[in-house]
Amino acid sequence: MLRNWPCKQLGTLLWSLAVCVLVQVAAPLTAQTSTGVVRGTVGDESGKAVRNASVTATSIDTGQKQTANTGSDGTYKLELPAGDYRLTFEATGFTTFEISSATVSATVPVVLDGKLEKGEQVNGQATPTQQENLPNAPSSSTTAPSLSDLGLTPEQTQGNAREQALLDKRTHMLKIHQRMGLITTIPLIATVAISFNAGGKSTSSASRDLHAALGGLTGDLYGITAYYAIRAPRVPGTKKRGPIKFHEAMAWIHGPGMILTPILGIMAFDEKNKGEKVHGIASAHNPVAIVTAGAFGAALLSVSVKF
Amino acid sequence: MLIVVLLASLPVLAAADSQWVLQQSTLTYHVSHPLHPSEGVSHGAKGKGVCHAGQCEFLIAVPVKSFDSGDSNRDLHMIQVTRGAEFPLVTVRTRLPESDAAASTINADLEIQFAGQTAHYKQVPFKVEKQGGETHITGTIPATLTDFKIDPPSLLTMPVKNDIPVRVDLTWRPQ
Repeated sequence: MLRNWPCKQLGTLLWSLAVCVLVQVAAPLTAQTSTGVVRGTVGDESGKAVRNASVTATSIDTGQKQTANTGSDGTYKLELPAGDYRLTFEATGFTTFEISSATVSATVPVVLDGKLEKGEQVNGQATPTQQENLPNAPSSSTTAPSLSDLGLTPEQTQGNAREQALLDKRTHMLKIHQRMGLITTIPLIATVAISFNAGGKSTSSASRDLHAALGGLTGDLYGITAYYAIRAPRVPGTKKRGPIKFHEAMAWIHGPGMILTPILGIMAFDEKNKGEKVHGIASAHNPVAIVTAGAFGAALLSVSVKF
Repeated sequence: MLIVVLLASLPVLAAADSQWVLQQSTLTYHVSHPLHPSEGVSHGAKGKGVCHAGQCEFLIAVPVKSFDSGDSNRDLHMIQVTRGAEFPLVTVRTRLPESDAAASTINADLEIQFAGQTAHYKQVPFKVEKQGGETHITGTIPATLTDFKIDPPSLLTMPVKNDIPVRVDLTWRPQ
């Protein structure tokens, strides 16, 4: 049935499919909601500002968390999707202060101040409000060791909300990259399969048209896949180790290949349309395409399967 | 006279505080996936035990970033999904009778703080071996992702299994 479709209509259909796929993949991962602001000041019993206190907002509906640290003046600011939140205020040397429910509005900023009392705290985390009565359960006796006894550095004990946000963004973008990469393999395999009827001694233009359209779709989806990998944030100070090195190395083959293959393909397409045998540099379209597809497949397998 | 003084001081010495320091550690988490099982190892734990009146309280802290699976990409994802940048330490607290140091197996109740959550594990068995002046403890903590409210990562649309057992190999010495 597709054989009778004009090339232009086929191209339009495939473009529409690509857009639908992109929306389906990206929409759940890029949920857009109206955003509100929560801000305030964290102080101790005497009203003195507490710097570097951690303020965590946990969505009551979704469980999603976002954290900010107070500055030298004890103030903090959080930008959150509108909804209901539980706020937890923590700082080393103070007991945790919690606001069990607060509504964040997209229209009016919310001001929520925290007042901390001096007391023991572990790891910047909320002290459990419940503890099972276990016979050998840890007690809160004064002889119990504390984190300060272990010789850990401040870098090892202090949380970093900014770094967490960077990691969250990185994972979010690499998830899209992963899904788009998988989706791209479908038209890629179809393009390779159709190519057996598209070139050589075949005189059918319908197979050539379909091969070209599928190749175009593959290229577009590949571009989207590459975009999310290239733009995903890097984490400073991380040395690359493991299969990711091979995965990224393959990009130096399938990247240029995905540019060269359609260029050579257009040249071969024109020669076939003129009734000529594909010759010269255009004849490199097949081997370049095979190497490109092979590198793409190897890249995918390197991070999917443990060898 | 000297013997009487020494005998009289024995109960005082027995009740005196003693301390333990974590000399060496190997903690290994295991994540199961049909296509890609993986393990991460940390040698970065620090620990201390304080014994008083026959009871010992132990605290062990391990930086989340110290776990190494051999794959930097996976390690970064692990830190992200466990919120390791916000909550950089895994802490384990337990209380044991001082007499357990002489036993060959112990059953410990653990309180573990990880990924911003607290979980309790009852009666986790550990093997105890005395090696010269040091005490070597091994066992497996039956941790799960749901215990710490961690969303299971997935690969090729398949999520990893909920169980993330952690093998523990600790060497303690008296301070």
